[in-house]
Amino acid sequence: MKTTILAAAALAASASLASAQQLAPSPTLDAIKARGNIECGVHLGLPGFSFANDKGEWTGLDVDYCKALAAAVLGDATKVKFTPTSVQQRWPILQSGQVDLLSRNSTITFSRNATLGLNFQGINFYEGQTFIVRKKANAKTAADLDGASVCVAAGSTEEKNAADWFRERNLKVTITNFQKNDDAITAYDSGRCDAYTAGVGALAGQRVKLKVPDEHIILTQPISNDPQGPVTRWGDERWQLIVRWVLNGTIAAEALGITSANVDEMKANSKNTEVRRLLGAEGGFGAMLGLPDDWMYKVIKQVGNYGESFERTVGMGSTLKLERGQNQLWTKGGLLFTPPFQ
Amino acid sequence: MTKALALINDKRVRDWIYQLALVAGLVVLTIYFVRNASQNMVKAGIASGFDFLWRTSGIDVPFVLTSYTQADNILSLFWAGVANTMLVTVIAIVLATLLGFVLGIARLSSHWLLSTLAGAYIEFVRNIPLLFFVLFWYFGVIAALPAPLDSLSVFGIAFLNNRGLTIPLPDAPANFRWAVAAILLAWLAQWLVAFWARRRKERTGRDAPVLAIGLVLVILVPILAITWASLATRWDIPILRGFNYRGGFVVIPEFVALLAALVTYTAGFIAEIVRGGIQAVPHGQTEAASALGLRRGQILRFVTIPQALRVMMPPMTNQYLNVLKNSSFGAAIAYPDVVSLFMGSALNNTGQAIEIIAMTLAVYLVIGLAVSALMNWYNARIALVTR
Repeated sequence: MKTTILAAAALAASASLASAQQLAPSPTLDAIKARGNIECGVHLGLPGFSFANDKGEWTGLDVDYCKALAAAVLGDATKVKFTPTSVQQRWPILQSGQVDLLSRNSTITFSRNATLGLNFQGINFYEGQTFIVRKKANAKTAADLDGASVCVAAGSTEEKNAADWFRERNLKVTITNFQKNDDAITAYDSGRCDAYTAGVGALAGQRVKLKVPDEHIILTQPISNDPQGPVTRWGDERWQLIVRWVLNGTIAAEALGITSANVDEMKANSKNTEVRRLLGAEGGFGAMLGLPDDWMYKVIKQVGNYGESFERTVGMGSTLKLERGQNQLWTKGGLLFTPPFQ
Repeated sequence: MTKALALINDKRVRDWIYQLALVAGLVVLTIYFVRNASQNMVKAGIASGFDFLWRTSGIDVPFVLTSYTQADNILSLFWAGVANTMLVTVIAIVLATLLGFVLGIARLSSHWLLSTLAGAYIEFVRNIPLLFFVLFWYFGVIAALPAPLDSLSVFGIAFLNNRGLTIPLPDAPANFRWAVAAILLAWLAQWLVAFWARRRKERTGRDAPVLAIGLVLVILVPILAITWASLATRWDIPILRGFNYRGGFVVIPEFVALLAALVTYTAGFIAEIVRGGIQAVPHGQTEAASALGLRRGQILRFVTIPQALRVMMPPMTNQYLNVLKNSSFGAAIAYPDVVSLFMGSALNNTGQAIEIIAMTLAVYLVIGLAVSALMNWYNARIALVTR
């Protein structure tokens, strides 16, 4: 009996030694390749981040990330199936394996990371929670909202943040919790609430949906910090590596000056070794993840670097007109920083 | 051998065996599912168990009947949600029954306009989804009401606006507790007096002044007690400051909208049950009663309705259970019921989907079974006793 176990162990050990050259298995990646698309969980509809236009085409910063991932993994940015998720559905949909990842306005928090079986693979949007109010209400900061009624999406981090923030300052607000962000903003618009609270990016996106957007202002002072980025479930380390490094790659590309316009030229002529490794001209970095070596080349060619995506979706080239602010590269005064491609 | 065979052929024994096998099967299946789920959750790194109930909730609830505040734990949030569900359910059941009876009887009326109007209303209501009613009342009610600055004032102490109805609240409820105790005592006394009077009449045939004593005990005592308590208490009268009225108790528009939707919707179904129940009583009963010289009102009260009730009770139970379940539609308009607070906010903050959904299911199951047990008991009490 004992000998058989020992023999089996020895066999397993030698087998694992023999396959040491091979990559760790990635069931998620295999499934994606077999089905030919990435299943990406996105927001139900938030202009600038994930929004389906009347032709059913998804656009936005979070959507762009899904496309970048598809370009890296499948070589084609269009091979994404978007699954719109509400605040309530998002975690179960990811946990149960219905989507390969979530790329939607969801704050990275300790307890989500520790208890929900979720991993956060980096940050593609830094923001703070604030309020949208009517101009005629004459509120300049959140503290002026004493006595106000505030609409919020139930179960969001904003719901707790707002309750805590006002309680700590002995201010009384009435918080009304709606099941969906859209229900909350509709109620705010109909006059049920004096303010609606969410991240500043989400507010800019939601403001577009109001009846008369110009009658409302977004308070500038944030009451929290809400970093957001792609989320995966526990397990499948190699898939998590891919998700993390595609995001890093788009930011690194901006830092290295690679854009969708000059990517071909950079790949052919650049002497910068980091550029050459990123674009697959040397180093075989794609293969280390189990991807083709030109994985990031395809991402930048088809979707662009982080800065291009930002400008197009939420920045000055979009209806949201958000400043880069914290979401600028660290070299330009922002918070975006990636480990080197070495 | 033959003895065992005889046992197996005994229908009662066989029935027992089937029942036991079914229960055992269910238990095994449940254990299998629970084990499977918990193992998968451990594998996926998802925390499980009910420890999260003692975490601080941090969720602000705009409409609470319990002493819940956001500093309390999630279990208190759960009870606050259950209390809100119960409140809207109980009030909706009472009001829907009243409205349903009126509509049902109106539909049977010989007055053409009355019966046509009632019939049109019933058909309209029964063919429209409840969600439509909820949203209609919510956005209808809110759109119709003014903003806080232009509130409708009721004698300068209560104010109606699109944030709800703000009413004065007593600073110290102690006086009202005494008043409620006095009222309950008076009602108990009235019941005892009536009981004693009936016994005496059966024994001696003499009448007691039950009506006069009853009026004093049932109506005058409560009026006096409430008046005394109101005068002896300092009131927190709402005043306009900043965005809205401060102080007092706010009846939120979500509650009003959900209640109105549940009542107007359910009344349509109850009206049909009432009509069916009354029509099920053979016409000969009415004719016989009228031959005895009873007036129309008396026929309805003493002959028709008691017999109709027997037919109405079982479907009525279903409607009451529907009200309970339909109260969860409040989640669509941010009424803080158990679904909205617990399956919405708490579930998202903790991510404990399986535990929270199981607890919510249990709430509906327990209340539902209690309602149907009560209704079955009443049904058994009024059932036809044949000798």
